Amino acid sequence: MSWKISALKKSPWVFHVNTGACNNCDIEIVNLLTPKFDVERFGIKLVGSPRHADALLVTGVVTQQAAPRLQEVYRQTAKPCVVFVIGACACDKGIFTTGYHVVGPVDKIIKEVDPNAIIAYVPGCPPKPEAIISGVVKALSTL
Amino acid sequence: MNQEELNKKLEQISDKLIAVERPLEDRVFLLCESENSYQLNKFLFEDVPLRFVVATGIDAEDCFEVLYHYSYDQTGCIVTLRAFIRDREKPAIESISPFLPGAEWIEREMHDILGIEFKNHPDMRRLILADDWPEGVYPLRKSSS
Repeated sequence: MSWKISALKKSPWVFHVNTGACNNCDIEIVNLLTPKFDVERFGIKLVGSPRHADALLVTGVVTQQAAPRLQEVYRQTAKPCVVFVIGACACDKGIFTTGYHVVGPVDKIIKEVDPNAIIAYVPGCPPKPEAIISGVVKALSTL
Repeated sequence: MNQEELNKKLEQISDKLIAVERPLEDRVFLLCESENSYQLNKFLFEDVPLRFVVATGIDAEDCFEVLYHYSYDQTGCIVTLRAFIRDREKPAIESISPFLPGAEWIEREMHDILGIEFKNHPDMRRLILADDWPEGVYPLRKSSS
């Protein structure tokens, strides 16, 4: 397992999943990938399929419609993988706590599929790109 | 057409209204029963004519309300037609989509979350609720919260 993790840490490829965000966190993630912050210089690359990804960037509270789809995306991601939960809503439902369509924070839905999933949290509404970079660095350095 | 001419046009339908509320010079509420709403909407949209903005639904505990919001862009006047649906068991109202296709989706949304039936709607499929949401459960009714 350890060599797999160290291989993953060198250049994590990320897949972005929006499970019902207001788009604000997504804007910050796009900000990360575009020239101002440009995380690709650290080897962090956005990919178009979960099968290519080492990490999932999940934004937004999980709605009833999105929950089975998020679980399917997690199942299809190559293991080992890290789930980065970005934003207050994804971490703990945020302002949507009492919404009729809300089934839970991201970690609860992921743990239904895999109780041992590696999950890292970046709270904030929305988290700054610096905070997301800091969260990713901290999470990878503890692996 | 200026504001006074709009006021005169709106007076033509006063016999079908319960009341007219006018909190501001450029804000008009027309209150009516659901039976008259189709005719009144047709008048507002085709004869005045006003621009349809959006419709909203409210669960007002003793009745359901459907509010059709129109804008009169020359003067910036907003006209809202409030239609009251008194039947709480099977709330139903005539759809305005046959002459106003832009209202199709908002009527489907109101049907989803408040359970108001829109008669003669061309396509009354589910719009915003999850695919596995149970039939007959309407999340924004007062009784379900």
